Amino acid sequence: MTNYKIIFTGPVGAGKTTAISSISDRPPVSTDKVASDMTRDMKKTTTVACDYGTVRLNDDDCLHLYGTPGQQRFDFMWDILVSGGIGLVLLLDNTRPDPFQDMTFFLGQFQDFIDQTQVAVGVTQMDRKSSPCIDDYHSHLNKQGLTIPVFDVDARKRHDVSLLIKALLFSLDPGLLENND
Amino acid sequence: MDNRTRPVKIAALGMEKRTYSTLQLFFNDHCKDSYVLVEENSADISIIDMDGFQACRMLEEHKKQYPDQPSILISLSHDKAHDAVYIRKPIMLDALSSALLKAKERLQQPVTETPAAEEIVQKPEQQTTDKKPKAAAPLLLNNVTPPPQETVRRAKTGAKRFDQYRYSANFLTEDADLEHIDTRLAANFNPDNPLQAAEFQYQSEQTLQGYFQQAYFTALQKQQNVVLKGVWRPITILYKSKQLRVEKNFRHLYALSGMLFDKSEVSIELLDNDADCEPGLNETVLPAEPFLWKLAMRTSRGRVPMDTNFTAPIKLIRWPNFTRIIVTPHALRIAALWAKQPTSLMNTASYLAIPLQHVFMFYTAAVSLNFVAPAITEKDQTTATTPPVKRHRYRKIFQHLLARLRNN
Ligand SMILES: Nc1nc2c(ncn2[C@@H]2O[C@H](COP(=O)(O)OP(=O)(O)O)[C@@H](O)[C@H]2O)c(=O)[nH]1
Ligand SMILES: [Mg+2]
Repeated sequence: MTNYKIIFTGPVGAGKTTAISSISDRPPVSTDKVASDMTRDMKKTTTVACDYGTVRLNDDDCLHLYGTPGQQRFDFMWDILVSGGIGLVLLLDNTRPDPFQDMTFFLGQFQDFIDQTQVAVGVTQMDRKSSPCIDDYHSHLNKQGLTIPVFDVDARKRHDVSLLIKALLFSLDPGLLENND
Repeated sequence: MDNRTRPVKIAALGMEKRTYSTLQLFFNDHCKDSYVLVEENSADISIIDMDGFQACRMLEEHKKQYPDQPSILISLSHDKAHDAVYIRKPIMLDALSSALLKAKERLQQPVTETPAAEEIVQKPEQQTTDKKPKAAAPLLLNNVTPPPQETVRRAKTGAKRFDQYRYSANFLTEDADLEHIDTRLAANFNPDNPLQAAEFQYQSEQTLQGYFQQAYFTALQKQQNVVLKGVWRPITILYKSKQLRVEKNFRHLYALSGMLFDKSEVSIELLDNDADCEPGLNETVLPAEPFLWKLAMRTSRGRVPMDTNFTAPIKLIRWPNFTRIIVTPHALRIAALWAKQPTSLMNTASYLAIPLQHVFMFYTAAVSLNFVAPAITEKDQTTATTPPVKRHRYRKIFQHLLARLRNN
């Protein structure tokens, strides 16, 4: 059984937990369960701050979806969390005071990982606040020389989250075949 | 028990929940068979976070109770006072792995003397932002230059009046839109044959798409609302919100996509910005981008605007907002390819092994909104001639995932 993982990051309230559950096979397993699988001796389960979901790919392979704890402070765990990851999904909450600053912050934090893989950005809560618009995000990215997918995403909608992940996959390998669509 | 086969038991002490859960993930992902997390009293090795509240006292207690247990201390500071393996935060994977190996060695050595404190050196955290090169300015295919970004931003903040109409029309699901394009038509397409080339080009400036495009970019550039008149009911473009006010029954506009209109039949008028822009009784408000995208796609029908160069590399300037527009066939792949490496229309079809007309359709829709442009810098020219994208080592896995994303 080989495990692959996609990391979801972004500020608190951006929809990481919701997005992961939108595409997970089962309601996301709380990491408590992972913990008890790992260490049977450990009776006390801790509520764990990471989100976790899975997508079964075939008999041998499983995709794991990890959400980072959305804390903006200095965080030394991210290096560990991303190791072996195939790509990053960055979710941004359009209602926050300065979502561009959030974007710059998270792209900066994960720069090494992004350089090795790819990133796709989903802007959530646009139904609640439509400005700034997607174009404005691109303008900021353009200044940094970045051409990356930025979609209007409702984390509750599987369609939106799926498309974001597809964009991530095609960015990693445009030669992938589309399944008849 | 044989030390080499049984996993080493690790206790993680004094940590925030988040730190703790990350260690769990780490052990689970990377070294399931070598290490497990356990309680303090059954551990072989302990990892202690020295930045926590009362960490020093906790460490003292721990040393008293488990004097033989090797420990790994993690901290933001340099403090090397304790005989332990030390890792400075932020913790990098390599550092943690080698610290664990060191601690394991100590575990296997009979304790004769107190080993000295060691620090695992790891590369400093990198400072990140703004080191990437600036992007080349977007190349525009029509004469209208979009306004500088700052003005656009200023303009948009005031406009929330029509937000309630957002996506009132569904731009996403109309199979008829991906209407029959006989993809065999372009199977033997030769761009050097002017007759064949002409068959796959159309006079975009003389279509509703072309006029709308011109009106839209005029509105954005002039920062003024614009009305587009012709044989259709007037279409008002609201520059601030990037929306348009049209008759409710706007769908028949798409049906005009196959017609050519003479300049004399069409007018583009700038409106006074103070004029009332509330939609009338039989009108509705739509987002402009998805409307133009769809109109261009319909007008294209697998063709490209006149004077399009079939063999010049095309680059992606901006990813279309694919969750809110129609994803034309293979659009994500084409966008991803052009973002990675400017590629001509002809080469795109052959690299991706897809029908040329699907490339044309995506190109036409994307170029109408300035999402793509010919790559004119020298750098783009050269990369376009280098071999196409490499196969990703996980392609098979990605393929499975794509199938899963489609299926339910
Ligand atoms: N209105 C609206 N709510 C959303 C959207 N995306 C997510 N939410 C909601 O926002 C809340 C916060 O999401 P959550 O997944 O907990 O965010 P997290 O902190 O990043 O894990 C939840 O109640 C979601 O249902 C969106 O696009 N629009
Ligand atoms: Mg959450």
